[in-house]
Amino acid sequence: MSKKNKFYWFEGVTEKGAKALLSDENPKYGWLRPQRNRRVLVGLMIVGLIAVAMGSYWPTLKTNMNLSSGTEIVIYSVTAIFVIFAVLVGYLFLRISVRGIGDAPNELLDERQIRVRDTSFRYAYYAMGYVVLGLLLMMLFGPELKMFQPEGNDGSYLVIATLFAFSSIPSMILAWRERDI
Amino acid sequence: MSRNQEEPVYNRIEEARLAHGLSRQELADKVGVHYQTIGYLERGEYSPSLALSLRIAKLLKQEVSELFSLTPFKKGK
Repeated sequence: MSKKNKFYWFEGVTEKGAKALLSDENPKYGWLRPQRNRRVLVGLMIVGLIAVAMGSYWPTLKTNMNLSSGTEIVIYSVTAIFVIFAVLVGYLFLRISVRGIGDAPNELLDERQIRVRDTSFRYAYYAMGYVVLGLLLMMLFGPELKMFQPEGNDGSYLVIATLFAFSSIPSMILAWRERDI
Repeated sequence: MSRNQEEPVYNRIEEARLAHGLSRQELADKVGVHYQTIGYLERGEYSPSLALSLRIAKLLKQEVSELFSLTPFKKGK
C-alpha cells in the first residue's frame, strides 16, 4: 500500500521531502553542519543576494556597458543567469544545512524545533522590514540617481533579490544562530 | 528575575536513559522528538514542555519530580 505524499501548500514542501531533510544524515552534506561552515554559507548568500540586486544597475554605473551591443548583452545576461543560479544553489545548500527546519510544517517538527523555527522567523520578520525598506528606497531614488539602465531594466533584479531574500532569511538566521542542527 | 528570563531546569534524563539502556535516538523515537532535542535536554540547554516531561518520565518509569528540578541534583542521589 503506497502512502500518500502530503503536500503542504502553505510551506510549499512535500511530507517526504521535509522528512528527508529533517532526518538527513547523509555524510555527503556533513560539511554543511558545523556552525562555522553554515556561517560562511550565510555570508556567501548575502554576497550573492547583493550581487543579484546590483544586476539592476551595475552595467551602467560600474562598467559603462553598452547594452545596445549584442556581445555585451550576452555577457550581461550570462553573468546574471550565473549569479542567480549560484544563489539558487546556495539557497538549496542553506536549506540542507538547517535540515529544512525553516520551511517544515509544525506537525513534522518537535516542540524545540518549532520554538527555534519561530524565533528565527521573528528575527527574519525584522530583517525583512529592513530589506523592504532598502528596496523601496532604491526604487524611489534609483531613477533619480540614474542607478538603473536607461532602457530595458526597471530594477527587476532588485525584486528577484528581494524574493530570494524572503525565502532565505529564516534559514539564514537559523544557520547563523543555532549551534547544533 | 525578569518576567521573560528563562529559569534553568535541571534534569537527570541522561542518567535515567542510560540506566534503561537506551540511546538518544531510541529515547527520541519513543517520546516523539528529534534525537538532537534529547541532547539539548540532557545538556540543560532546553527546558521541555510539561507534556514532554511527562512522556519522558513515563517512559523512564520515574516521577517528573525525580527527573526534573529547579535546583541542581545532588550527585549520586
